Amino acid sequence: MKKGLLFVVSLLVLCMALVPMASAKKVVIKVGIDAPMTGDIPKVGEGTKYAAEMWLEDIKKAGGLEVGGKKYPVEVIIEDNESKAESAVKAITKLITEDEVLIVVGPQASSQAIPAGDVANNWKTPMISPWSTNPNTTKDRPYVFRACFLDPFQGKVMANFVKNEFGFTKAAVLYDVASDYPKGLAEEFKKNWEKINGPGSVVAFESFTTKDTDFSSQLTKIKKSGAQFIFVPQYYNEVALIVQQAHDLGFKGPIVGSDSWGSAETVKLCGKDCYGLFFSTHYAAAGAKGATKAFIDRYKKKYGYVPDDVAALTWDALGIVKKAIQDCGKLTGNIEKDRQCVRDALAKIKNFEGITGKMSFTEDGDPIKCAVIVKINDKGEFEFYKSVCP
Amino acid sequence: MDTTKGDALENNVGFWKRIGRRITGIPLLAWILGILAAALVEQWVGYEFAELIGLPKIPVLFGALIVLKKKVWMQSPMMIPSTMLYVFSVYILVIGVVARVLAAPANRAAGGLMKMPLWISVLIHLGIFYTALHIWSDISAYRVITLKLTLIAIMVTLSLNVINGYMGEFSCSHPGFMALGAYAASAVTLIFFTNDRLFGAAVLPASLGPFVFPLALIIGGLVAAIGALVVAIPSFRTRGDYLAIISLAFMFIVKSVIENLEVVGGPRGMGSQPNYADLPTVFVWTVLCIWVINNFVRSILGKALNAVRDDEMAAEAMTVNTRKTKMVAFMFSAFWAGVAGGLFAHVIRFVNPGTFGIQKLAEVLAMVYFGGLNSVYGSILGAVSLNLLGEMLRPLEIFKWIIIPVMLILVMIYRPTGLIAFKDLDVKKLIRPR
Repeated sequence: MKKGLLFVVSLLVLCMALVPMASAKKVVIKVGIDAPMTGDIPKVGEGTKYAAEMWLEDIKKAGGLEVGGKKYPVEVIIEDNESKAESAVKAITKLITEDEVLIVVGPQASSQAIPAGDVANNWKTPMISPWSTNPNTTKDRPYVFRACFLDPFQGKVMANFVKNEFGFTKAAVLYDVASDYPKGLAEEFKKNWEKINGPGSVVAFESFTTKDTDFSSQLTKIKKSGAQFIFVPQYYNEVALIVQQAHDLGFKGPIVGSDSWGSAETVKLCGKDCYGLFFSTHYAAAGAKGATKAFIDRYKKKYGYVPDDVAALTWDALGIVKKAIQDCGKLTGNIEKDRQCVRDALAKIKNFEGITGKMSFTEDGDPIKCAVIVKINDKGEFEFYKSVCP
Repeated sequence: MDTTKGDALENNVGFWKRIGRRITGIPLLAWILGILAAALVEQWVGYEFAELIGLPKIPVLFGALIVLKKKVWMQSPMMIPSTMLYVFSVYILVIGVVARVLAAPANRAAGGLMKMPLWISVLIHLGIFYTALHIWSDISAYRVITLKLTLIAIMVTLSLNVINGYMGEFSCSHPGFMALGAYAASAVTLIFFTNDRLFGAAVLPASLGPFVFPLALIIGGLVAAIGALVVAIPSFRTRGDYLAIISLAFMFIVKSVIENLEVVGGPRGMGSQPNYADLPTVFVWTVLCIWVINNFVRSILGKALNAVRDDEMAAEAMTVNTRKTKMVAFMFSAFWAGVAGGLFAHVIRFVNPGTFGIQKLAEVLAMVYFGGLNSVYGSILGAVSLNLLGEMLRPLEIFKWIIIPVMLILVMIYRPTGLIAFKDLDVKKLIRPR
């Protein structure tokens, strides 16, 4: 009994002895990142993390972030949202209330960004989702922003591009009905295409379900419908299968896609079948110039592969964060005031030179920025083809 | 040398044994009061104490988020003993001392309470316990959201345990039931009380909302119960693996149907549910769920479930109406999963069909089998421990997904039916004086 008690007491004393005296509080700029490090899309989380690491490296090299003539140390806190809505909500709540971050970057996917945006808005904490294209993420939420364009814009860009480039009149669309992003985009494209070419000009509007691998019945239907091209707003693994199967069935027309094609895996899986195809995206890696090229080269050197659009958009989102904090002009150390100040500064950003294009923000939190049309060239690289601005 | 070592060992054993003996004399009431005291101490002096020992904030989840963080070890290792000290003195010490000191009066009080109707004394216990939880979670919104989701997990786990544990069928349809409940309850609140893009303007004044919310949850539960018929009817003729496949198919059907229903937003999901599911609401529903399910499984019908599990043919011969039993069990279990789904939707304030997939199923099944089959205690333990672990191990990042599965494997090896399996929850025994 005595020995046990002695043990506990001595442990307590030891703890007490090791405790440092109260340390002075310093203003540290904390940036929270809510990213899918595990779960369905870990590659997205990885790109986010790497971009954030590079950004932090730059800040550290400069000795901190200069705001109003004073340098502040910066801390980046990455929380995993397991690509689940409830986990994203928990993670952002932790970032805002426990870590007391000034601003949150992420979550990336809309199914996490929508509920997390609600939390951020309730806590009056600015949040930028680099990748979420669902209109509901920022809708009626003054504190929530995004760094990418929305689905309606991309649908319009692609419809106009195909019309101007090829002069086609009959379109086919093949998309995943069970996934939020392809479905939204497919509908937007259809709407815009029919606006240009009249009702009935989308001759085949075919769908499948996530994880399907055989598209021959849909593709046969598309071929029979007499469509001149196919719009496929799908992710890289499906793109490869769809393009190859379409070619096997003897479909000769072009196949065009959306920003979800923009992964290094697309060409790796698809091979020669994808050469010469077009898609719209946020930025083009091959033939990039200036800051974009510098970012790509540095990323490739450090992590061994060409960054995809998530990394680039996260980089831009962090750039916007930096600019907003600097534009705010003064950090008081009162986190609520500072958050408000940063949010107001963010909403006023005009002509921000990001690596994914020039961005201007408005009060609704969506940027006005250009889309890039990319051609997959004969070497399998994503080559800049054209820039389309709203 | 050897003898001293042995003595020390014996002494140590004596110490722990003595502590054990002291603990057994403490009634539940004293423990709850101890927890309340700890919560109050944290509320009153927690922040000052944390500052005194060099912590920037009150450690939010028993210090795990600080102690497990690599960065803390690298940059400010002093925070680790401070955190341990904080957790020890604010929680363990306060709870232990208060429970010990109050043991005798609490025993007398518990004896007095036993003379009253059971529901009064249970309500008193629950009231004190909730007050403690509320004060504890008041410290941080992160605690609130973790607590809410944990309570909801308890409901889902318990409802699945009715099928998988008590009735011995392997049902994989619970995410589907949750989805039905979540969508039905959300549809009710969205149609009647909010102006939103899917259903247009509110039909009823928003001030009525919180009062109608229980009704919305019940509607969610009923929709899930009707959906459960799809699984219950085939269960008359199939068992085991085959029923598991049918129930799995049901889950996918629900997911696909919702994905293709434009009315409820399709794969985009449904958002901006009103904020009705606050902590007291979730707590009350969880308690209600535990109470009802506990009574159900201890009733004659509940015993019939066990009979069906152990030998369906013998049960039938002994006049158990197996069809009715299965039907009731499935619908009852689905009802609570639906209510939990409705609460879930209003806590997250967004639902999409992707949430209720195979991942959710794996989570719920893990909680059931980790906690223990055929036991209400087990379900509570499983849901609470896996949920809290999931949050507390957050700083370990990817290693979290190694540690939790390894724990599951170990439990499955050494306690194949779960940590606390086949144990009745007897409220009267729980709150009696010791």
